[in-house]
Formats: sequence, C-alpha cells, structure tokens
Amino acid sequence: MNASNPIPGDYTAFRETVREFLASALTPELARAGERTTSVFSDFEAGRQWQSALHARGWGAPEWPLEHGGTGWDIQQRYIFLEECRLANAPNPVMMGIQMLGPMLMHFGTEAQKAAYLPGIISGDDVWCQGYSEPGSGSDLASLKTTADRVGDEYVVNGTKIWTSMAHYSNWIFCLVRTDKNAKPQAGISFLLIDMATPGITVTPFSSLDGEIEQCQVFFEDVRVPVSNLLGEENQGWTVAKYLLEFERGGQHFTIDLKKQLRKLQQLVTSDANAAADDPTFAFRIAETEIDVIALEQTELRIKGSVAAGEHPGALSSLVKVSGTELGQQCAELLIEAAGQGATPWQSEVLAPDYQGPTAAPEECVTTMAEYINSRATTIYGGTAEIQRGIIAKHVLGL
Amino acid sequence: MTEDQVLLQDAAERYLRDSYDFNARRERLTRGVYTDPQHWQAFAEMGWLTLPVPEHLDGLGLGTRECAILAELCGRYLVTEPLIEVLMSAATLIAPSPHAAAWLGQLVSGELIPLAAIDECAGRRNERPATVLSRGDSGWRLTGVKKWVSAGPSATHFIVLASCDEGLAWVLCPRDAAGVTCETFPTHDGRGGANCSFDTTIEEHQILLAGTAALSALEAYRELAMTLSSAEILGAAHAALNTTVEYTKQRVQFGQPLASFQALQHRMANMLIQVELTRSLVYAACDAADGDTPDRSRFACAAKVKASTVGRKVSQEAIQLHGGIATTDEYIVGHFFKRITALESWVCSRGEALREFMAFSG
Repeated sequence: MNASNPIPGDYTAFRETVREFLASALTPELARAGERTTSVFSDFEAGRQWQSALHARGWGAPEWPLEHGGTGWDIQQRYIFLEECRLANAPNPVMMGIQMLGPMLMHFGTEAQKAAYLPGIISGDDVWCQGYSEPGSGSDLASLKTTADRVGDEYVVNGTKIWTSMAHYSNWIFCLVRTDKNAKPQAGISFLLIDMATPGITVTPFSSLDGEIEQCQVFFEDVRVPVSNLLGEENQGWTVAKYLLEFERGGQHFTIDLKKQLRKLQQLVTSDANAAADDPTFAFRIAETEIDVIALEQTELRIKGSVAAGEHPGALSSLVKVSGTELGQQCAELLIEAAGQGATPWQSEVLAPDYQGPTAAPEECVTTMAEYINSRATTIYGGTAEIQRGIIAKHVLGL
Repeated sequence: MTEDQVLLQDAAERYLRDSYDFNARRERLTRGVYTDPQHWQAFAEMGWLTLPVPEHLDGLGLGTRECAILAELCGRYLVTEPLIEVLMSAATLIAPSPHAAAWLGQLVSGELIPLAAIDECAGRRNERPATVLSRGDSGWRLTGVKKWVSAGPSATHFIVLASCDEGLAWVLCPRDAAGVTCETFPTHDGRGGANCSFDTTIEEHQILLAGTAALSALEAYRELAMTLSSAEILGAAHAALNTTVEYTKQRVQFGQPLASFQALQHRMANMLIQVELTRSLVYAACDAADGDTPDRSRFACAAKVKASTVGRKVSQEAIQLHGGIATTDEYIVGHFFKRITALESWVCSRGEALREFMAFSG
C-alpha cells in the first residue's frame, strides 16, 4: 500500500543514487549479515565495514549538519536513505556515537572537543558506548550513584554501569556521573567522556536471552578522567542528556522494519515450513496486524509532515515508540507461530557474515526465534513502554 | 488540512458547539424527534447537504476529506440527524444519476431527506436483493421489504436497492407514496430506525441508476460508508476519551483525583495512542479516495476495521474509568459508546471489512 507522502518533490533521482551505491558497496557478505540481524546490532565487524563504506561515500552521518561531515539531506531524503538501506539488508553499525553523542557534542561541546571526537565518530574508527543505566537506576535514571569527585584537574570516577551495549567493542564511553551528592537528583549529574583504556575500568560482558553477547557491565575503580572531558557545565549533565531526547523525537521509523517482518511472514506462510498452515484464523491475525502497521505508517507520515513544516511533534514520538515496538513484538510472535518447531534451533555461527555451512533451522527461519526473544527488550530499552505512557499521560492528556 | 478545510471545520464546530446541546437532544429524542427541523435547516443553509455534489450540479464539489470533517464532528456532538447518510446518498446515488437535476433542488434546500434502503436481513452484503423493480403493462413497479434503515424516521424518501432485468437498480421513492408502509422504531443510538415495505408504482425519473452503474454506485456507497463511519467513530471515541480525562481530573477518591493513579493514566494513554493511530488511517483513507488511488477501497476497509476495534475498546474503557455515572442515561459518555456500537455494523461490518481487506491483499 502506497502511503501518501506529505513532502512534495521528486525524489526519484535521489533514490536511484542510493540504490546505485548500495548495489556497488553492499557486498553479499554484508547483506547477509544485515539480513541475519536479530537485534538492534548486526555482526560487529560487518557493521564496522559498512560504516567505513558509508563514510568513504560521504554518508557516514546523514543526519548531521554539513559542516561536521553530514549530508545536508532533507527529512525525506534521510528517510529514503534509511528505507533503501533496510530493504537492501545493509548491516547496522554501532550507532551510539553517531546518533546519540554526536548531536550532544555539536550542541554542548567546546571547539576542541568537537575537533577531537567528531571525526573519529563519523569514520567509525572510534566506537562509543553509552554509560547511563546502573544496577539500581533503570527507569529512575536520575537516582544514579556512580560518582566523579574533582581532584585537581581530574575527576576520579567510582561506580558501575550496566546494559552498556557493545562496551566490549568500544574504546570510548559517555557517562552520566554524580558530581554533587547534596543537590537534587537531576541537579547533581555531569556528563563525562571517558577513554576505555584508562586504568581502573573493567568490562564484563554477559549473554542475552538469545545466547549472544551484546550487553556488558562496566566497573569504574578510581578512574582518573581529565576535567577537559566534561561535556557541558559541571552538574548540567541532565540537561545535556535531555537535549538528545528532543533531538531524537520524530526521527523514528518503525514501519520500514515492520513491513519487512510482514513480508517475511508472507514468505513463511507460503513455504513448506509453515507450521500455521492448518490454522484458519492465522490469516485474519496477519491481516489485523497489517492494518495496525498501516495505521502506524500513516502516523509516522503525519509526524514527518509536521517536522518538515517546522513543527515539533512532541509526545507523538512516544506514541510511535510504544506502538512501533509493540507491533514489532506482535509480528515476531506471528513469525514464531508460523515457524513452529523450525524456529527452535540455536546456531550462533550462522549470524556471522562469512558463514557458509548448513543451517539447522529451515533457511527462512534461522533468525526467527532470536528476533522474537530479542523483541521483548524493545519495550524496555530507550524508555520503557510504561515511561512512554507516562509521558503521553502527562504531556498530551495533562494528567 | 488545507485552509478551506480548516474554515469548514471551524464553522461546523462553532455551530455544533453553540447550538447542539446534549440535554436538548435527550429531551427531543424522548419525544421521538430524531431530526430537529432548525438544525436541518441550518445544515442546508451552510451548504453541507450538497457538499460532495459536483459544482456543475450546483454542489460545493468537495471531497471525502471534507465529508469526514463533518462526520467526525457528528460523532463528537452525537448528531442524530442523518447528515452523513444524506451526504452519501447525494454523492454516490443522486449526483451520478441521469435524473440528478430532478432531485438536487429539493436536496439543497433541505426538503428532501433521502436515505438508502439496502438491508433485507441483518446487515449482510446484498447484491441480489429480493426487492424487485419490474415493468408491467401499467409501467414500473417496486415490490419488496427493506429493514434496519438507520435514521429511517427522519427520511422523506428512500433510495431502494432492488433487483431488475439489468441487474441492480436504485429507486428513489417518497416515504408517503401510495403502497409504501413504514414502521419506525427507536434505537439505542438515538437515530431511530425503519422497516419499510414497497408495493408501489414508479416513474422513470425515480429510477436513479440501473445496471452496471447501479452496481458501481453500491460499491461507492459502501466504500464511502466505511470511511465516513470510521470518521464518525473517531470523533465519538476521541470525545469519549476527552470526557474521561476531564472527569478523572475532577473526581476525587481516596483523597486524590482519579487522574493521579498511574493504572488509570496508562489506560488513558493507551486510549490516546489508539485514537491517534485511527485518525491517521481515517485521514489516509480520505486522501486515497480523493486522490482516486488504486488502493482506495483497501484503505477504506483498513480504516473501518481499525476504527471499529478502537471505537469499541475506547468507549468501553471510557465507561469503566468513569465508574457508575457512565451507566446512567443522563451522562454523555454512554451515548458515545452506543453510537459507536451501532456504527460498527452499519452498512459494512468490521468482519466484512476485514475479509474485503484480505481479498485485496490476496
């Protein structure tokens, strides 16, 4: 179903340019790694190679302003780029630097900081992870306890961060730390950039439910960080982090992937591996889900139109996050039902781009179970569905 | 929305907000008055009754999106007059007729209130009606029985779907013609209904459409009904949500407003999420119809499925979150619930819309 595009203009030539690039730069190995992505992150090496290919083309950070190596594309071009990459199964690089730290650096960073960090982020040479959550501070992030005590020209950091995705591949971490224990929770937090090679840092990776390692706990024991690594003012870290939320809003597009899931579902139910073939209600459930996906797609278009018109979509982005993640979970459920026992084999090696061997699961189901398992995290990270509903209740309904 | 659409919406909203009082509506309905002549006259004067009629037929030549603006407001203000029905009759059954000129004058002035009479048994799609238009020695004759005409008591005329030699025909027949009997009844949604039987002579100009034109008109009527009933459900569901939000802010229990309880906040957030998703889909269905895109019918089906599902859930939640007060007839929120329930199965039910959607996808 073609969605009406709220942004006038002919983008055919632009789309063609993106397609030509993908046809030449996206090798079959990279596309295979992209196709076998089971969470936010693709195979790390594949993602890194892809980031460097994008950077070489000048497309390393499409959302960034031109002066920092961005593309200057409008919102529709950025959407088309994303859509073509997803449809062609380009792998996902580790994006914490580009998507999260980059905008904050550009807004709050000193000229020296921008010059020091932005080039490494966009090239992919530096891999950044995000140190926000702690074992005792999840949704209640402002209660975080990792401390940074000022000693001369340094902060001495002690504490621990958890859910630090890809920390085991990262050479830098951006952290929220407590610099004033007596202030109100939000007022005593600062934003620090920390070199992972600094003595006193230990990274402990742990397996997620699907058996893959993406998550880590990071421990800080008397880690000495130069004061020049402070982003923004001391005790203004909460403001720095909140700026990103504003920046992110309206930028999420769930329906590209949801439509991919629906296509996979169609493939699966027309293949021999269809475990739901005898269930007459299954087609109805797919159709109902498809209608929900169309409704979300139209909502994303409404938001895109209002962003293009210079308006602030506000809490509509919370609506999209809740709805997009929950629909992703619904699609993942339909997929495991269609795959049946064919989804049960666990074979980690097939996710690697260079894997050539046989698969225990039918070809069309190799990632189905892992995607289902990982889909449960989507309503937890990035602000839980409950936090998002709280935002809607407060900021839209005025409750 | 375009500037003109905003103007239409503002004017319509102003009129309904200032003049369409809920208590006056309740009182009027107890007297069996489903269409208030003053309101109907006002609708006519504002040009609404021929809003989708092409300009060369002296209508406003506006599209589905504009009709949906009115439909949404009808849902919000619980309008019992058959405005949406008349817009549908005008756009899909009268305007395309070779005899349009004979009827449009009375339509624009508000004298003619023509409602489509399609159903013969509980609301199923009917392309082979038992009602027949036949030609005898003394001319055309319409014979048969039609049931469940929503807002039937407000009708001055019925546009009857009948079988004929050429397939289907739409026949416009005055309610007070000899050989027409009309049994009316109150309905839970406040519009009233009618079952009618026809054994009456028909003049040539009363046969609005016949043959393939009549079949396409049936498709067009159903598609517009899906989109506009979705828009009306959207308006009613959003109003039910707003009423609930305001009420829970005022209502104090356990020493605090109900709105301060997170369990209720999240349920209202869910209602908002679903209402806004529905809004996107309803407007997209309008745009598809007005742009005459190949997937316009598929969008209409999707909108009807989504609006029915969401309307039911949101209006049920609205009652639950209010508590006892919502179960009384004096309070408005239950009336949104009742109207939404009637619209779910009106012309094309959720189930039919889902099956048609799947047929388009297949």
